[in-house]
Amino acid sequence: MTKYIIRRMIQAIPVLFGITIVVYGILLAAPGGPTAKFNQNPRITEEIKEKFKKAWGLDQPIPVQYCRWMGFCNPENVGLQVFIGETGWPNFLPTPISGATNGVLHGDFGFSISSGELVNTRIVRAALPTLILAGVALFVWLVVAILMGVYAAIHRYSLFDQAATVFAYVGFAMPTFWLGIMLIFLFSGPGLNILPAGGMTETRLSPPFGSDEYWVYFGQKPLEALSDVGWHLILPVFTLVVVNIAGDSRFVRASMLEALNQDYVRTAKAKGLPGRTVTFKHALRNAMLPVVTNIGLEIPFLFTGAIVTETIFSWPGIGRLTIAATNQFDYPVLMGVLLISATLVVLANLLADVAYAVIDPRIKF
Amino acid sequence: MTETISATPPLGAPPDRDTLLEVRDLRTYFRVLDGTVPAVDGVSFSVGRGKTIGIVGESGSGKSVTALTIMRLLDIPPAEIGAESEVWFDGREILRIPLNVMRKVRGKDMAMIFQEPLTSLNPVFTIGEQIAEQVRLHLKTSGREATDRSIEALRLVGIPSPESRIKQFPHEMSGGMRQRVMIAMALSCEPKLIIADEPTTALDVTIQAQILELLKAIQQRTGSALMLITHDLGVVAEMVDHVVVMYAGQVVEQGTVEEVLLDPRAPYTMGLLESIPSVEKRGGRLSVIKGVVPSPFNLPPACRFEPRCPYAWDLCHEEAPPLSRVGSADRLARCHLHTSAGDSRRGAALQQHIDAMRVGGTIRDAPA
Amino acid sequence: MTDSRKPQGAVASDLVRRAEEAGQDYEVGLESLSQMQLAWRKFKGHRLALLGLTILGILIGVAVLGPLLLPYNFATIPLPDKIVYEGRPPSAEHFFGETGGLQRDVFRLVVNGARTSLFIGFSSMFIGVVIGTIVGSIAGFVGGFVDNFLMRIVDVMLSLPVLFVILVASRFFGNGNVILIVVIFGLFSWMGISRLVRSQFLSIREREFVEAARAVGVTDRRIIFRHILPNAFSPIVVSSSLIVAGNIIGEAFVSFLGFGVNPTTPTWGNILSNALTFIPLGNWWWPLFPGMAIILTVLAVNFIGDGLRDAFDPRSRA
Ligand SMILES: Nc1ncnc2c1ncn2[C@@H]1O[C@H](COP(=O)(O)OP(=O)(O)OP(=O)(O)O)[C@@H](O)[C@H]1O
Ligand code: SF4
Ligand SMILES: [Mg+2]
Repeated sequence: MTKYIIRRMIQAIPVLFGITIVVYGILLAAPGGPTAKFNQNPRITEEIKEKFKKAWGLDQPIPVQYCRWMGFCNPENVGLQVFIGETGWPNFLPTPISGATNGVLHGDFGFSISSGELVNTRIVRAALPTLILAGVALFVWLVVAILMGVYAAIHRYSLFDQAATVFAYVGFAMPTFWLGIMLIFLFSGPGLNILPAGGMTETRLSPPFGSDEYWVYFGQKPLEALSDVGWHLILPVFTLVVVNIAGDSRFVRASMLEALNQDYVRTAKAKGLPGRTVTFKHALRNAMLPVVTNIGLEIPFLFTGAIVTETIFSWPGIGRLTIAATNQFDYPVLMGVLLISATLVVLANLLADVAYAVIDPRIKF
Repeated sequence: MTETISATPPLGAPPDRDTLLEVRDLRTYFRVLDGTVPAVDGVSFSVGRGKTIGIVGESGSGKSVTALTIMRLLDIPPAEIGAESEVWFDGREILRIPLNVMRKVRGKDMAMIFQEPLTSLNPVFTIGEQIAEQVRLHLKTSGREATDRSIEALRLVGIPSPESRIKQFPHEMSGGMRQRVMIAMALSCEPKLIIADEPTTALDVTIQAQILELLKAIQQRTGSALMLITHDLGVVAEMVDHVVVMYAGQVVEQGTVEEVLLDPRAPYTMGLLESIPSVEKRGGRLSVIKGVVPSPFNLPPACRFEPRCPYAWDLCHEEAPPLSRVGSADRLARCHLHTSAGDSRRGAALQQHIDAMRVGGTIRDAPA
Repeated sequence: MTDSRKPQGAVASDLVRRAEEAGQDYEVGLESLSQMQLAWRKFKGHRLALLGLTILGILIGVAVLGPLLLPYNFATIPLPDKIVYEGRPPSAEHFFGETGGLQRDVFRLVVNGARTSLFIGFSSMFIGVVIGTIVGSIAGFVGGFVDNFLMRIVDVMLSLPVLFVILVASRFFGNGNVILIVVIFGLFSWMGISRLVRSQFLSIREREFVEAARAVGVTDRRIIFRHILPNAFSPIVVSSSLIVAGNIIGEAFVSFLGFGVNPTTPTWGNILSNALTFIPLGNWWWPLFPGMAIILTVLAVNFIGDGLRDAFDPRSRA
């Protein structure tokens, strides 16, 4: 098992490496380069642009920039020293060995062009809200999709099943951002106005989420703070999960129907097991095998869905950070965010494979 | 899911105490796109306690559907059971009891072994768990006891070192081993009736003999009744007391194993026997029954065997033959040869079969 | 499947007759008839698919003719006296109401948006299919290192949250230009297709009729274009429908954020750009109708996709 996981991790390295090249390539190939954002500003002269480029190391050849960003080398040094870290070991080795601290390989994504902060700081600050949103959404998504799919399979062609089919078609066709807008109109517009239209906390009651004051407030009134966030989560989570539930409930249904048709289900019935045991022990366990893989493959959509949802609901997470960084041509932040989310996707796929192997005894490592 | 018969006409009298299973006029239909098809069409037979019965017939003759109906394992709909049908088991009519009562019968008093050992075990549970689950349920034992009983059952079916085997998954065993597990599972609660639906069809020839021997030994040891479904008359000869021959959803002949095999009366049974290779028939060509079992969608108008029958004449095309007595009370055959209309032809037909059995030969086409 | 061109049974002889009646070359006509005709027959029996086809036909009609009848000019804004901040609900004059701010007719916006949104959805799909087919064919045909390399690229692309990358790319390269947006969406739509085509190559390459064709000296090119690609046709068509749907939704989002197509050219996304700020005024008709247009289109395309999948599935009955 451990061996298998390690092997899969090693296999993931070229993919992750490829991702860094693609990410870097996309951003650097942009016309005008990183100074394009100054083009509209008459007060910024060529001179200032050059200074800016030099300050960010953008005057170097692109491969050098890439290697430096990755942490393969240390362009400040001279000669072969460029590739050697402080301890005398190659620069790309982990920090404890090489002593190097620069570049992605050493957990350093550089500085944000727009705010001057460390990219890490900005990402870490935005990560918690996204994890909360995505985590709750993942939970709701799985529970609802599985329950709906199983129920629809057991009561095939029932009214519920037909309603679920219609929901699946429409839900699958619905743009997430539009659903968010409509839900805000519906529940936070002048008519009903019962749910918050955006944000993560009630600004009149609590300090901004994530600030030092917030944690003080949280320590004092944890229940109120939690219910406040929960209240703000309702619409974004709903928005985020509809598409996934629409697709997966059908998938679970099909998989469950297939399992219910298998010979071993007939055996289980012939043993005299109650219907519940037959369905939820014998059939469901088998029906979950393809579902687990499918969910692993769908994790990227949770990310993109989070970007969409966060934008609509002003959720202070990675999605909003991305949109802001895109708007400001903030390369280092975008590269950090893209690379981290791609890594998470690769990990999620790995996790799905491992989970699949755990629940299917036929798979050996 | 209502899996019981809708209408409940007054039931007939229960069979006597020695009869474990009595099937009366069993009719099972399948609702399909263009109407309903009769897969089992008026089948009756009975099995005494501790006795063995063989149900024989070609593929598609309705043997499995009969067994599944008795076990109440068919989904209703698409299946439908005739309102006049009755199945008496251990003194009780079981087609009409609620499904949750039937569940207490299934696996405990009446167990079934399926045709497909490779797919009949759940791939994600250990075989120990799959047997113990049933024991815990029916015998209300603790987990520990259930495990011991599972090991005992596996030992009984001749699986070496059952203590370690219970931790294995089905895919780690061969087909023959898996069928042994199925048998162990079936006998784990000491059922009164074991229904074995072609338990060896999917297995290698050498394994087949072992499994059949095992079944027989276990049946004798535990005193269970055995209903063995097969298309192989050779198996029947070795395994059972009583034979029911089915064709296209109907019983065409029944009697003791000696009567049916040595003195068959229905042309279908004769054909089946003539197609078995044997020492006496050396020299002649082995015959096969031409054609295939008609689909229940498209049955011949009168005698269902008529298109394939070498003895058929015009009457066979006009009127369906009844199941008539050809000896003692439960010695029956369905053929016009055994009604008064067939008096003149009966002798010749029987003689023709005897000749065919002696020298081998093809069954001739029906006279035009 | 050993020789799909050999007529068999009644259906086939019927097809031969039809082919001959149509005056077509026997061999060529029969091949396309036996597969396509059969699929079409099944497709015609699929009610939802026909509904989808009808809806899509109407939408395409609107996209082609609508802008001619109801032209849109970004610079034309209503007379000053009509400019009030709040939008106006649907009325006999403006059935979809008017937007807040510039008081644009939502119906006119939706009609004009249809042209851009459908154009982007379909042409980006087309680019994706072309790239995917080429990459998949190369990977499947050449095999070995090339195959491995190309498939790792596909892995990389599939690990990226694609909408995310498209968003950034549209902002950085798109310039609000429709054609560039199409190209960007196309460049991120080929991965699934390339896997499909590759697997067709791998599975069909070994089949008897290809071996037989090769044995009698048929060229590789002919095998690819006459045998392998036609076989890959049905999965490609089915997954193309998903690409169209996904890209219409994706473009709407990117343009909604202001990173996609310039507001001078309306799309179903960019016409919603300001809708959020009007929530407190409750101008529900503004987002509602463009969104319904997207849902209707995507539903139609998905219905057609389902119909095609069933039509091409040999196990499903006509
Ligand atoms: N679920 C079903 N729906 C429709 N028809 C069915 C169904 N199950 C069985 N049948 C039909 O009932 C008939 C009898 O089938 P059955 O499985 O009992 O045959 P069998 O004698 O067991 O044959 P085999 O030796 O192949 O197992 C067949 O013609 C079959 O097509
Ligand atoms: S009734 Fe006629 S056709 Fe049927 S089995 Fe008897 S002889 Fe043959
Ligand atoms: Mg059977």
